[in-house]
Amino acid sequence: MKEVIAVVRMNKMNRTKEALTREGINAFFAHEVQGRGKGLVDESLLQGAEQGIPEAISLLGEHGKLYPKRMVTVVVPDSQVRKVVRVLMEVNSTGSRGDGKIFVLPLSDAARIRTGETGEAAIA
Amino acid sequence: MIMVRAIVRPEKSDDILAALMDAGFPAVTKYSVAGRGKQRGIRVGDITYDEIPKTVLLCVVNSEDKDFLISTLMQAARTGEKGAFGDGKVFVSEVNEVHTISSGAMEGGDTISQEETAS
Repeated sequence: MKEVIAVVRMNKMNRTKEALTREGINAFFAHEVQGRGKGLVDESLLQGAEQGIPEAISLLGEHGKLYPKRMVTVVVPDSQVRKVVRVLMEVNSTGSRGDGKIFVLPLSDAARIRTGETGEAAIA
Repeated sequence: MIMVRAIVRPEKSDDILAALMDAGFPAVTKYSVAGRGKQRGIRVGDITYDEIPKTVLLCVVNSEDKDFLISTLMQAARTGEKGAFGDGKVFVSEVNEVHTISSGAMEGGDTISQEETAS
């Protein structure tokens, strides 16, 4: 069982959701996060802040700007990791810096609260 | 590679981000959470506050940078000389693979062979 954590552009969320659903992965959760990468960001991508979105502006501190992102977490069996990574890559790739990262972490167990099932049955 | 998640005081997060930048860890993701620790929250008179706002800083780094990153976080996140309750925790977990979406580059991937990635 693996936990796939992707940090992606906010405006790609709808397409990410659609694509995951199309591939049969319905369960995931998302966080609103702020982040920075290696510090090499194309300033023209900052239109959100220029258009006066207050959250975006407030994040532009002096120590490495933080950009608004979405963090998507999907828990899948090992056999589906490749598919999830491929889908997330395809949908979120624009080829510019700031597209985000995908992390694959091992996960020891999961439980479904409603039924008490554990392991792969809990995420099936 | 490892993922380090630090739960810290929100008011310290700017200092910590600056310290991480100076230490050569520019890449960070930050989000807000609420939680309580071993002290069961903060009690003021009869009222207990057990959903204390915190900030999570998430970094993924090479395993060999672990100790340096953690000591940097510790130094920057601690309040006062000896630290205080509520300064937070640092959790470290294993990361199998890291993919960069823009370039398609992958790091790690020791558990699953590269051939499978290509297919």
